[in-house]
This record gives sequence, structure tokens and C-alpha cells, in this order.
Amino acid sequence: MTVQNSEIRQGIKEAFPIVLGYLPLGLTFGVLAKDAGMSAAQATMMSALCFSGAGQYIAIGIMQAGGGIVTIVLANVLVNLRYLLFSASTVPYLKDRVQPLAASLLSYGLTDETYAVAVNRYRKQPATASYMAGLNLTSHLGWIGSTLIGAFLGSFITNTDRLGLGFALPAMYICLLVLMIKRRADLWVAFFTAAACLGIGYLFPATMSNLSNIIIATILGATLGVLINGQR
Amino acid sequence: MDNANIWLMIIGVSVASFTPRIFPVALFSRYEFPAVVKKWLSFVAPAVLGGLTALSVFAPQGRIDFSVQNIYFWAFLPTFIAAVKFKSLFVTLLVGIVTMAFLNNFLGF
Repeated sequence: MTVQNSEIRQGIKEAFPIVLGYLPLGLTFGVLAKDAGMSAAQATMMSALCFSGAGQYIAIGIMQAGGGIVTIVLANVLVNLRYLLFSASTVPYLKDRVQPLAASLLSYGLTDETYAVAVNRYRKQPATASYMAGLNLTSHLGWIGSTLIGAFLGSFITNTDRLGLGFALPAMYICLLVLMIKRRADLWVAFFTAAACLGIGYLFPATMSNLSNIIIATILGATLGVLINGQR
Repeated sequence: MDNANIWLMIIGVSVASFTPRIFPVALFSRYEFPAVVKKWLSFVAPAVLGGLTALSVFAPQGRIDFSVQNIYFWAFLPTFIAAVKFKSLFVTLLVGIVTMAFLNNFLGF
């Protein structure tokens, strides 16, 4: 595997908006984890090992509600199930371009955000291990670092709302969505999945807490894409 | 939850987190998907982003909120226009964050 500096730099550069979006979430996680009885070391290690925003927040919630390890792990199995789909959908881009071992290890850093940024790039440029490393490791470090700061500064951080950072991730999704729409079918798929996601979440509120509405809506949406794209 | 159990919980959650991310890539990297599966997978990204955008705008606190008090919806409008017009992640992020800061600080939301 050759290391390509320009690809690493590109990955790091594209991780910046992600890090900006993780900052308030990681800080808050650090604060909440301390409140729930974790040490700063535990909170930081959890961000290093798990790298799962929704999953980690759920763990804290269950801990505070007095739930046990099994409940937390099972909830995380559900919440992380969507990554099976994400990961599988990167395979056609990574195959024959990134060595399987490197591709597998670097996929540890797959999140909603790194996935969306990476696929946007792979649609224009071939995937490289160096780019994956730059993007995923930088994002991961941002998540770990902001957790550490949150766990240590805890009570000093009052309210990040005023900075508007709460809209960093939604803004990123919005832009990546716009960039992602290349085929007419993409537009229909995105629109349908958005509606299905909200509809399922509205009818079955329990699906909102484990994100299974996203999984179901995505499966339906991608199938719709094949159906309408195949007819033309 | 005591100290040892917290560490155990962290290890359990990490296994639940990395398994679904790593395994599809590890298992299928040498395998050629049929064309129809590839096509299906090519729609996963636009679908996921549609879903994530909808949830982050219409369910920012984890509950669906179609009310006019939903500040995320109002921040969505200029941000979406910026994304379509400039097709730049940097500009979109800037518009989104500045709009949100403005709504939070000056409009009493």
C-alpha cells in the first residue's frame, strides 16, 4: 500500500466540516457521560472504541434510567445495523482499489457523516486508502478530542446553542444530499426515503429511538430506485 | 453501574459498533456483486441522506416536530437554497450555522 500525501491531505480537508459538526455533540457527550457516572478516561475511551454518536447517547440514557449492560448492547446492535448497508454500499467503490485488509480496518471510522462525504468523492474520484485514512481518522480524532474536552470542562460549558453549531450536521446532510442528486431517480429516492422515514417514525415512535425507521426507509427507497431506474 | 461494568459495557458497545461497519467490506471485497445489487447499493447513499436530512430537520430532538416553532425547519430553508445555488459544503455550512446562531440569539426561539 503506497501512501499518497495529496490524498491524505484531501481526506483531512474534507473532514473539517465533520469535525465542526462533531464538536458540540462530542462536548455534550463528555459532559453527560460524567453526569452518568463515567470517568473522563472511560468517556474518552468509549468515543475512541465505539465512535457512534447515537449509540453512545443511548448508552448514557439507559445507564441513567438504571438499565443494564445487555440492554445497552442490544440497543446498540439495532442502532448500528444501518452500517451493514452503508458498508456494503462502499464495497463497489473500494473493490480492486483499496486492499481488503486496509479497507476493512479503515471502515472502523465509518459513520453517517464520513460515509456521505466519502461516497460523494468516490462518485468522482477513485477511492484510495490514504484518502480514507485522512477522512476517517481526522473525524475520529475530532470526536475523541471533543469528548475529552467535554469530560474535563464539564460544568464550564454552558450552552453551545448560541453558536449555531447545532445546525452543522443538518447543514452538512443538506449539502451532501444536494450534491448526491445526479440521476432523476436519485431525487425520487431521496424524497421518498425522507417521507417514509418521517412517516414510519410518526406511526411507530419506538422506531425513532433505535433508528430502525432509517433502515426500513432506506431499504424501501433503494428498491424504489432500482424499479424506476430499471424501466428507463 | 460500577467501574468494571462500565468497562464491560464499553467493550460490548464497541463490538456492536465496529462489526457491522467492518464485516461487509471484509467479506465482500473479493466478490463481484451482480449488476442489480450494485444498482440497488448505488441508491443507498441518496436514500440515507434523504432520511438523515428529514430527521435532522423535522425531528431535531428525537421527536417529530412539524410546528412553526421548529427552529430547525426555518434554518433549513436558507441552508437548502445555499446548497442548491453554491454546491459548496463550506458555504452551506456557513449559511446554516450563521442562520441558526441568528435564530437562537435574536428571535427568541
